[in-house]
Amino acid sequence: MPPLAWYALRRVAHGLVTLWFAITITFLLLRLLPGDPATAIASTNMDATMRQELLTKYGLTESLPIQYGKYLVQLVQGNLGTSFSQSEPVSTVLMARLPWTLLLTGSALVVTVAIGIPLGVVAATHAKGALDRIVQVVGVVGQSLFVPSVGIFLLYILGLKLKWFPIGGAHDENVYGIAWYLNVGWHLVLPCASLAMVSLGSYVLILRSTLIESLGEDFCVLARAKGTPERIVVWKHGLRNALLPTTTLLGLQLGFMVGGSVLTETIYAYPGVGRAIYESVIRLDFPVLQGAFVLLAATVVAANMITDLAYGLLDPRVRTA
Amino acid sequence: MSTQRGAMNLMKAQRLIRVCVIGAVGAVLAACAPSAPPTQSNAAGSSPSDTLTVATTTDVVNLNPLLGNSRTDDWVTDLMYPRLLTVSANGSKEPYLATKWGYSADGKTGFFDLRNDFTWSDGQKLTATDVAYTINTIKTQNPKGNVVSGFMSNLGKATAVSPTRVELQLNKPDSIVVPEIGFWMTVVPEHIFSKQAKIDDFANASDWVSAGPYRLSSIAKGQSYTLDRVEPYPMAPNGKPTLAKVVFKVYPDVNTEILALKKGDVDVIANALPPAQVKDLKATSGISVAEVPGLGFTHMTYNMKRKPMDNVLVRQALAHAVDYNSIRAVAVQGQAVTANNSPITDSLKEFADPTLKEYTFDPQKSKALLAQAGVSNLKLTMIYSLQDPVISAWSSMVKDSAAQAGITIDLKGMDRNTYLAKTVAGDYDIYAGSFAIMDEPVSNMALQYLPDGAINYSQVNDPQLTSLIEQAQSTIDKGKQKSLVQQAAGYVNKNMIDNIMYVQNLNVAYSSKWDGFITKPSELLSIIDPASLANIHQK
Repeated sequence: MPPLAWYALRRVAHGLVTLWFAITITFLLLRLLPGDPATAIASTNMDATMRQELLTKYGLTESLPIQYGKYLVQLVQGNLGTSFSQSEPVSTVLMARLPWTLLLTGSALVVTVAIGIPLGVVAATHAKGALDRIVQVVGVVGQSLFVPSVGIFLLYILGLKLKWFPIGGAHDENVYGIAWYLNVGWHLVLPCASLAMVSLGSYVLILRSTLIESLGEDFCVLARAKGTPERIVVWKHGLRNALLPTTTLLGLQLGFMVGGSVLTETIYAYPGVGRAIYESVIRLDFPVLQGAFVLLAATVVAANMITDLAYGLLDPRVRTA
Repeated sequence: MSTQRGAMNLMKAQRLIRVCVIGAVGAVLAACAPSAPPTQSNAAGSSPSDTLTVATTTDVVNLNPLLGNSRTDDWVTDLMYPRLLTVSANGSKEPYLATKWGYSADGKTGFFDLRNDFTWSDGQKLTATDVAYTINTIKTQNPKGNVVSGFMSNLGKATAVSPTRVELQLNKPDSIVVPEIGFWMTVVPEHIFSKQAKIDDFANASDWVSAGPYRLSSIAKGQSYTLDRVEPYPMAPNGKPTLAKVVFKVYPDVNTEILALKKGDVDVIANALPPAQVKDLKATSGISVAEVPGLGFTHMTYNMKRKPMDNVLVRQALAHAVDYNSIRAVAVQGQAVTANNSPITDSLKEFADPTLKEYTFDPQKSKALLAQAGVSNLKLTMIYSLQDPVISAWSSMVKDSAAQAGITIDLKGMDRNTYLAKTVAGDYDIYAGSFAIMDEPVSNMALQYLPDGAINYSQVNDPQLTSLIEQAQSTIDKGKQKSLVQQAAGYVNKNMIDNIMYVQNLNVAYSSKWDGFITKPSELLSIIDPASLANIHQK
């Protein structure tokens, strides 16, 4: 088997094991939470018999291994179950939400890279200069930002005071056709900016340090000695190598962004999976929580697999290791 | 030469492919974009002046009104499915779909007489058959989270004896069945709901039929819920609700919700405002704040199954160690009134006993009572939910004032589900919490103070109190019932079975350009009750 194919196969196998692990941990952790879904949904205003009936209906009175076995069988059949509180299939509940989370995190990731690379390059090529210091300050401040604070600040200034952007939601009512896409983009700006702002710092700082290291390597010195313009040395030779560790970081940041989307979607009233998780935790709606974590884990695992495969393509040493 | 031509052809082909790809992506996006719905009859031509946008912090969970879930579910479904009774400003029941209600002379048959001018939006008449179906479905299927089933233990079945009269067979006289079903139950269309084998599994997620002033027309899940006007609606002026559309928008964060109101993105905030935000909003130009009378109360209960709280002197000592006035003035920012440590507060004017008085904050008296009880170095834990910002704010005040009486209180703030689990298990010394709506004195006392009551958080099992409540429940004589209720409330006060601290008045905000709101007690009815939203208009 060619090394690249063997490498890809191993990454997929690792991904599947990771996914199974995430599914199992989620299943167990939910059942360790205090309280029970019957009480969370119907509050305390019901007697013990009614609560027991509800728990039996939800299948929560069976032993843990039986619950787990049934859940896995169901999952393999592509069935995520039915929401306790919403009486609808979990797939219906989540599929109405997942596109918004993917749009939000995906666009935030693109913005992070699009802004992060030039900033990192500027800092690295002006190392220890004024521009470098400014970028470093921006990076450190970015790392210490907190989504809710950034969110309320942006909403107050850009939404309420300047009225440039809407306050909350993913789109307005009664907007159709191409105008709908523009409306969605307009609503996306602030949540995307918040998420990108909090993830940009670490990306820029890591890119800066790896690029400084890379530009001092022999191959860059040789390129300069051959008369290669500095622009080419930086962007073609140095950056390509510096991007390797930041590619890994991007995969990790996707997981961070998915986690951060819970807060971002809450502050911006954005109808994504993060909000569904937040609401389902309050109601202990196990099927929705399990389904949401499966989807998000699958998304992160898939993104990391793609990152690993890209890494393998960028650096032949990795696939033969 | 031929190589150059080949390269040019290749470039042309690449350009053509690029244009085709861009065109194809554009076509796909255009095809996937939501298209305008066909013109809807009643709401056609709606404008900002007849569209009301209502903000809420909780999303809709389930649109089946027979299942209880979130407050927003109730607000939305109340605009489509009428209740039999509503509550007036003084806390008494008043007609809605039912014009008369009550019991037969022997108390074994309850009845509702209905209006004959309500129609479902698909043209079917709303009759007693729908009401009987709804009652019997709740009784037989016990839908999850439905509070009405808790009041049906003495109900046999409901029968539509005519198109406008429903009769309820009772196993024995029970004064709480009719008023509680009347207020808490929303009537659903039998011709739609009876097609469902199990009501618990019915999400009612599309093709809505409404007998209210508005009907759901579209949903953007997690974001907005749009309702269109339904005509005729007999309780609106000239049968036509004033608004063409009502849109509920979900803002999970209350700060974002307030910014949306200030900007003009929404017209009303439906949920009660946090006390700390009221002053700011009252001072904001273009925004009005309406005070909504509370119909519930906030209390601390002392677990009477645990020593030494089984001793009345200890409970009285604890009650004298609370600085009620400071709590109401500081933590609730003056937006609450005393409950006189009585479960029948002034919100229920018909039943409240004006002679009952609040325990004074008197640490010395508290110490004396503890000494009399032979208790020293009293150490207790108090549980409360961290999701309740007001109780979280006054919990430390309770701790500090108790310390002045030599009582140590260990505060245990916790997440809602842990708190509910501990509440159900009775795992606390002191429980702090709130009831949102206590609309019917007898049923509320039965739930709180009978030994098997679902919300008996005092864990009380007192034969004298039980007897008073059971007598009040089994009589349909209003005068006798009032006397028994007042005796029971006095007993609770005197023996400190439940430390009812205050009734919080709620505040809701709306854009000043709107007028004509009808204010009803409780967050549930508030200013967005169907009667209110069928009548409001822009100034």
